[in-house]
Amino acid sequence: MSEHQEGALSVYRVLDLTDQKGAFCTKMLADLGADVIKIERPEGDATRSIPPFAGDVPHIERSLYFLFRYANRRGVTLNLETADGKKIFEKLVKKADVVVETFPPGYMAGLGLDYPALKKINPGLVMASITEFGQTGPYKDWKGSDIVNYAMSNTMITSGFGDGAPINLPGTPSCDAASIIAAISIVTALYMRGAGGQGRYIDTSVHETSRLALYPWMLPMYSYNVNPGMPPPPPEGRLGAMIYPVYPCKDGFIRVVALTPRQWDGLVHVLGDPEVLKQPQWREFYYRIGNAADIYAVMLEFTTQFTMLELFEKGHQEGVPIVPIYNIEGFTNSPQTEARKFYSEMKHPVVGKFKYPGPPYKWSGTHCEAKRPAPTLGQHNEEIYCKELGFSKQDLAALRRAEVI
Amino acid sequence: MSDAPLHGIRVISFGTGGVVPDFGKIMGELGADVIKVECKENPDFMRTIGADPDNIAGFNESNRSKRDFGLNLKTEKGQEIAKRLIKIADIVGENLRGGVMKSLNMDYESVRKIKPDIIYISSNGYGSGGPFSEYQAYGPMLSAFSGLLSLWCHPTDPYPVGANVPLPDHYASKMLVVAALAALDYRRRTGKGQLVDMSQVEMAANMIGEYCLEYTINERVPQPVGNRSPYAAPYNAYRCKGNDQWCAISVLTDAEWECFCQAIGSPHWTKEAKFADLPSRLKHVDELDKHVEEWTLQHEPREVMIVLQNAGVAAGVLYRPAEILDDPQLRWVNAIVEVDHPVAGKRLYPGIPFHISDVTLPPSRPAPILGQHT
Repeated sequence: MSEHQEGALSVYRVLDLTDQKGAFCTKMLADLGADVIKIERPEGDATRSIPPFAGDVPHIERSLYFLFRYANRRGVTLNLETADGKKIFEKLVKKADVVVETFPPGYMAGLGLDYPALKKINPGLVMASITEFGQTGPYKDWKGSDIVNYAMSNTMITSGFGDGAPINLPGTPSCDAASIIAAISIVTALYMRGAGGQGRYIDTSVHETSRLALYPWMLPMYSYNVNPGMPPPPPEGRLGAMIYPVYPCKDGFIRVVALTPRQWDGLVHVLGDPEVLKQPQWREFYYRIGNAADIYAVMLEFTTQFTMLELFEKGHQEGVPIVPIYNIEGFTNSPQTEARKFYSEMKHPVVGKFKYPGPPYKWSGTHCEAKRPAPTLGQHNEEIYCKELGFSKQDLAALRRAEVI
Repeated sequence: MSDAPLHGIRVISFGTGGVVPDFGKIMGELGADVIKVECKENPDFMRTIGADPDNIAGFNESNRSKRDFGLNLKTEKGQEIAKRLIKIADIVGENLRGGVMKSLNMDYESVRKIKPDIIYISSNGYGSGGPFSEYQAYGPMLSAFSGLLSLWCHPTDPYPVGANVPLPDHYASKMLVVAALAALDYRRRTGKGQLVDMSQVEMAANMIGEYCLEYTINERVPQPVGNRSPYAAPYNAYRCKGNDQWCAISVLTDAEWECFCQAIGSPHWTKEAKFADLPSRLKHVDELDKHVEEWTLQHEPREVMIVLQNAGVAAGVLYRPAEILDDPQLRWVNAIVEVDHPVAGKRLYPGIPFHISDVTLPPSRPAPILGQHT
């Protein structure tokens, strides 16, 4: 869409000290053009070992997680726990606008690299910390993981079939929630700095933010229900199959979201106006939720006469939202995905050429797409340490021997 | 309030449902003047899902901290007033069905003629520029189209159903805030506005990009793994004492395994060789999970969580809303606020999550009643 090489955030440099909790944060900034430098310990980030791997070969340059989440960065190695490493980091901070870190609370302070210390070096610095449970508070030292974070987000108890075990959401959704909230805070702080403000420190936790991106309506729904009078059913049942029913068809499954009576009428029409579906009370959304199993049993006979795509297109014509349930292959090869050029070609020195999923938006005036693959370990050491910080190649060799980089 | 980060920025929101309303709410929380345009004849559809349009929990959550301007965009007069509003705005946000803004002559190309530096935030289900761009969609359909739903189930489920959640709506909304702020920052430096055109399906796909690479690099269609992990065991949601009570547990390293065993009292099975290291535990994971659940079933989920976290093992209750009210950490950060709404009364909502040093954000204001600020 855009012919420009400049991104909306191209003027900013970000130092990226993140693991899963912040990977999506710095990815968003990188996709918008920021010069993001991924800083890893000399032996490489733990995220490089997350399976599966390209070609099923376990290797630090082949983790699909790392390849997706850390594209568009430059990469250097640096051991912050050495005196020389610390000094180099401080030099990098002088030239940076943003630091994003995801270490446990107190780790950066222990190195003498917390915000008060870094602000002395660079008063305009914006620094964001993303932790599991927060920098302070009774749970600050607790541990998280994808399933634990999702459990505590309020959302897992609503996931899956009503009579089965709750089901985890794939990916790292709680970390992504914290990442996006941190990114909002960071760009806000940069915007304020541009109006003559100073640097800022940002404290974000996965625990506080996960439910905001997953299901912010749940607490208000609960709060509106705890009222004198007749309480409606609690919002925390596992109701996905009833609210947004899934039906089999000839070549897979579809999902229907009919909220209004008119949308339900449209669905009946799509299915050929069978008399058995024309029951007046079925036009009501809440009635259908309450009688989902009975209605499902009747619907099967009709939905199975069509393909996913037939129902998708007929639904559009008749004004009822229907969608095919695609697997990754179906999504990737959909004409919509292809028309929007969601995937672009990436060339990686170890993995080779592959199709890479881009950011979820197109910008008309500035550049926003994947430009370079995730860095190989220490790929930009020379570019950044020699060309930008003035170290010689001999210095670099010595630092490498001393396990500083 | 004048020192709020977005003081002086005006947003006109033609939003409905989840995405653009939540976007507007956050812009309002950051101090922008957010004006929501809707009318009695054509209200935000979230107002129509219950008996009283001003007393819907989801609507009143997603529309806090903004003003409401009653305007019928289907009339010429309405369109004329909307254009006058746009002239004094910095940002337009819209997530009406694809093609609707164009039919009203209020798409980006039309709007930039009257306000050249406008930042125009457009978010549709499938995104513009493809065969399905005008298809109507809701969040749970977009996670279905993106492939995300296909992975969101137990391998034994007959089909995936996901959750009660309109995913990815509230990710998309927040990503639009990042976009709008970045565009504002760019405009301040260059004077130029622009269009941001989001596909919510692609937002859902961004949450599982590594699975997309499994297909494009390894040419394999990813299959659901349920609650298990390829690099941790135990790793699951375990049934606890009580009715539909669960606690999630994850043990990543052998050191954490030692802590786990001690915390549950080192029953004899924990000493068996087949559970001694991670590869062995992964190999015997069904049996392992049975043993773990024998223990969790004897305890309430909160007790399981606290015993294990105190031992250095990640564990978390599958919270219901009432339980987050008692979570000491969420209380510590004021993660829940009470807001008094003229119709709905005093209700609980998520607090403002932006903790930026030396920035005091204005307190959350209740959602407007229909046409309140016309």
